[in-house]
Amino acid sequence: MIIMPLNMIVCIKWVPNTTAVSIDERTGTLIREGVPSIVNPHDLGALEAALSLKDKYGGTVTVISMAPPEAILGLEHALGMGADKGILISDRAFAGADTLATSYTLAKAIERIGNYDLIIMGQETIDSSTAHIGAQVASWLNLPYVYYVTEISYFEEKKVLRVKRMLENAYEIYDIQLPGLISIAMHTFKPRRVTLENKLRAKSKGAIEVWTNKVLNLDVNCIGLRGSPTTVTKIEFMPKIPRKKEIFKGDDVKEAAKWLITKLMEDGLLKI
Amino acid sequence: MESRNLCHEWDEINPEDYKGIWVYMQVEDGQIHEASLQLLGPARFMADKLNTYVGAVLIGWNIKHLAKEPIYYGADKVFIVDNEKLKVYYPRVYGNVVVKLARKYKPQALLVGATMKGRELAPFIANSLRTGITADLTNFDVDVENKDIILIRPPFGAWMLAHIRTAHRRPVMGSVRPNVFPLPERNEKRKGEIIEEQVEIEPETELKLVEYIPIVKSEELPIEKAEILVSGGRGLGSKDGFKLLEELANLLGGTISGSRKAVDAGWIPHEKQVGQTGKSVKPNIYFAIAISGAAQHIFGIREAKRVVAINIDPEAPIFENADYGIVGDYRKVIPAIIEVIKEMKK
Repeated sequence: MIIMPLNMIVCIKWVPNTTAVSIDERTGTLIREGVPSIVNPHDLGALEAALSLKDKYGGTVTVISMAPPEAILGLEHALGMGADKGILISDRAFAGADTLATSYTLAKAIERIGNYDLIIMGQETIDSSTAHIGAQVASWLNLPYVYYVTEISYFEEKKVLRVKRMLENAYEIYDIQLPGLISIAMHTFKPRRVTLENKLRAKSKGAIEVWTNKVLNLDVNCIGLRGSPTTVTKIEFMPKIPRKKEIFKGDDVKEAAKWLITKLMEDGLLKI
Repeated sequence: MESRNLCHEWDEINPEDYKGIWVYMQVEDGQIHEASLQLLGPARFMADKLNTYVGAVLIGWNIKHLAKEPIYYGADKVFIVDNEKLKVYYPRVYGNVVVKLARKYKPQALLVGATMKGRELAPFIANSLRTGITADLTNFDVDVENKDIILIRPPFGAWMLAHIRTAHRRPVMGSVRPNVFPLPERNEKRKGEIIEEQVEIEPETELKLVEYIPIVKSEELPIEKAEILVSGGRGLGSKDGFKLLEELANLLGGTISGSRKAVDAGWIPHEKQVGQTGKSVKPNIYFAIAISGAAQHIFGIREAKRVVAINIDPEAPIFENADYGIVGDYRKVIPAIIEVIKEMKK
């Protein structure tokens, strides 16, 4: 039998851990100091999907990320889980990119990697949740794509990936003639642990490459702020919904329950 | 307009040539999705301010009978492509049809309901037109003087609102989660124009739908339609905590839901998640039980008439965003509420 291993590329994003960000109620500003950045958790699910395919069918997993230099930690984590290679796309010229410019940069990096069968992404990121990049990269590379994949199998002889995906009201099963792109539904693949052996390999020379725009040589009008059709023109603090903020005073739970039920009935929202 | 060097991948356009506010109509099970019809409200508002028309894009197979629906909800023109080649939805095929229509008619804006399919389709359309797209906008503004549309979204968590312009590219594109805007009133007396378009449709050769398996939904009301929601968070400590919440919900004729942390922990399915990355809900009463109240969560309950917070931590931010609060262990407070209701029911 001819074995057709899968060459996979997984895109990951280095994001501030949004659950750790809080707000200074007095000044209305974000408290970001000391907030660690992490690999977008949904992207680790995508990486797990790639690694489990590699376990079954063989092949390679290359992880790419467009981010500031510190994101090398994220790529080390990915290699620690078992990815073969990491590429950090990092240059001031890429900064300020919206999703169009970001997807263009990623697509060009993927073209440069070449010889790929499958591109895998997480469903969305925890910081901006746009879910744009998958469809945009597929558009640049003219690839078939399917979002929200929950199960994957591979017909090696035909180079066809069979995926199950979940929508609001249905499951759908698709056959994708590779090369193609999928996004993995959140919470469906539980990322494996980083092993010491893999982590050491991640630190070895050449395991992670940094590609600046000297490497990619992209038209500066297509990347970063200049390559972004959208611009943020104003940031405002979100208006708070006025609430009554009445807190029951006392320790007797029965009294508290009675107080609450009475309040809700007085508001005409509860009928018993 | 300032002169700028255009990315060589982009075609040159003149934004002033672009008129009309378009809404993409997603057809599901032979009907137009409510998330699409809802967007005819904001589209109508934008169009009136800019003195232009509202266009609805309706594509698929055997859909002609639906053509008047967008008009009843506020559209002036319906661009319809009814073709057997559109029998099965494939994002590239559907996307390319919308792209062709947009190239021909040059709309100023295009809004897409951020259903799961909408989120998959919209960025493909935007990219093909080399325009920007704003995800999950929650509001908008119209700059009448510059004839521009500003889309507003929470960019980072849900504390801030970013105003986003697409000054030099058209159409201005945005996706909107279901139920962010109310369904406009349906008026069968409204008149509009139905434009049947023939476009060349490239078939999808690299992707094939093999099987469609409808998910049999329980009789339970979806959380966005519930009048009473009893919602649990990480503070419940375990999946078992939801049993108590379910008991209260049943007693009140309500439904249970959860925070992102409860969903992440696997205690409750994602379709019951309240918040920015879940659903926006608008119950009469929202019980936030053992939910700390992250901004993303508060965002999802902004339309709740009353918010009740029950939390063991008196410092939990949820109390700042609640109408009525009880500081205490939910394992004691909920049984007390259940007991009081049962006594009253007697």
